[in-house]
Amino acid sequence: MRELGSRRKAWTLGWTVLAFLYAPLIVMAVFSFNDSEFTSLPFRGFTLRWYTMLLDDDRLLQSVWNSVYVALGVVALSTLFGLPAAIALDRYEFPGKAWFARIVLLPIVLPGVITGVALLLFYMALHLKLSLYTIMLGQGTGLMCVTITEVAARLQRMKKSTEEAARTLGATEWEVLIKVTLPGVMPALFGAMLIAFSISFDEIAVTYLLTGRQNTLPMTLWSILRRQATPEVNAVSTLVIVASILLICVGTWLSRRGSGEPVEAPG
Amino acid sequence: MSAATQAPWHERRQLLVWLIPPLLWFTVFMVIPYCLLFYYSLGSTEYMTFKPGFSLANLIRVFRTEPYLSVLLKSARIGALTALGATVLGYPVAFCLAFHTRTARAKFLIYLLVIVPWWAAYLVKAYAWKTILGTNGLLNALLLQLHLIHEPLTLFLYNQFSVVLTLIYIFTPFAILSIYAQLERIPTSIVEASSNLGASTFETLTRIIIPLSLPGVIAGAIITFALATGDFIAPALLGGSNAIMISNVVINLLGVAFDWPMAASIGIVVIGVGTALISVAHYLEHRSQARF
Repeated sequence: MRELGSRRKAWTLGWTVLAFLYAPLIVMAVFSFNDSEFTSLPFRGFTLRWYTMLLDDDRLLQSVWNSVYVALGVVALSTLFGLPAAIALDRYEFPGKAWFARIVLLPIVLPGVITGVALLLFYMALHLKLSLYTIMLGQGTGLMCVTITEVAARLQRMKKSTEEAARTLGATEWEVLIKVTLPGVMPALFGAMLIAFSISFDEIAVTYLLTGRQNTLPMTLWSILRRQATPEVNAVSTLVIVASILLICVGTWLSRRGSGEPVEAPG
Repeated sequence: MSAATQAPWHERRQLLVWLIPPLLWFTVFMVIPYCLLFYYSLGSTEYMTFKPGFSLANLIRVFRTEPYLSVLLKSARIGALTALGATVLGYPVAFCLAFHTRTARAKFLIYLLVIVPWWAAYLVKAYAWKTILGTNGLLNALLLQLHLIHEPLTLFLYNQFSVVLTLIYIFTPFAILSIYAQLERIPTSIVEASSNLGASTFETLTRIIIPLSLPGVIAGAIITFALATGDFIAPALLGGSNAIMISNVVINLLGVAFDWPMAASIGIVVIGVGTALISVAHYLEHRSQARF
């Protein structure tokens, strides 16, 4: 039997923590419908005006698209360079491998601000103008480690024998990659893409230092929050939470469908 | 395996195809910027412009001049408290998920319940705590309504407490996921063997489950520590002058004081600590990892 100890006691603790995790989010959502300039009690009635206000805020809407644009670029970059790095790290031995792995992992533990300062110095040395692309390059470098660790973990669990069998049966390296390795790592790669997208969409430390004239959504929210905190912020936040719930559901559904497929299926 | 001995040259060419693009990327966007950071840390400023040089004065200043070292230590303390709090809060949920969830469907739903707050926008979460803890906040309103206090209290917000609470809130889902991944790997047979041999629930928990879950706990705690220590949103939004953290200092040095060499020096020190942290994490994880 796997159950250990009192089920009721364990879940009482568990649900208490989950309540702690949800209380602020629910507070946020409730007050986005409150007909008052301030986020405080008493509740003054139901309104949708904070949501309609959002639709008129061009700066905010533009920053949402900027964020999506940056996040898509980051996903593309981290896949394009992260996948080869993961394959090299898991399938091959080479001198300096331990150091390569360490450098690749460094952005996970470094404060975004430090990564941002280093890249800012680099851009200044090259006389690069700050823009959405400089943000993309910065976040891409920071988030590549997500793709690398996820894909490398998946490769580690995948047996090499399938790839070797394909080779023995006369498949070229290209065919092995397209028909065996890639389909096998697909769920992990897809998961990594989702994680990279969501972190990029939310990223603020690196972006803060590398942003040009166009802002991403967190930067716009940040500037609104520092000036005044209207319930408009509650409304955006609620929408962002709903959007991320949808994204998670679609993502997990897709990756579950993906991981259920046996390796030999495509062809 | 056989390919390695039969055609090493062939294998090496493939390796280069995979290795060269990411190697180039990390050289250009990480190694070179970090070298630049080091170069800047050796220089100085004159009339707000950078002057190249070769002195370790700035790096020494990080350790010798106030407030740098004390802010670094305070940030590390806040990071450690966050890691501790997130682990303590996260463990019960991870435990329920691994040992007290019966169907795969229930497991998936609880898992989603944990992921949603983790993915919800960072700023939103910090701001939510501001609306709860503030002078006109919900906590004060609730206490006033219950007649427990007669005027709003100011002690909830703009101090280290509010920063640590918010950071714990933000990183608890991450701790849950990290601990759960490790708990899920503990075979049922080991738990059964322990109780069959007469161990109480408490003994099984403290002598079997918790020791076996340590790699997940350590991995989660180290990343939480690192991210929380380097945070600058929570202190800027919810911390008063007393809760300034190292990232805020770096930003002020850049944006207000234009002291690039000093900011770069702090960066170099933090990179050194970060590299050491990865090595320690690697060592601890491998030492505590049991093979089943």
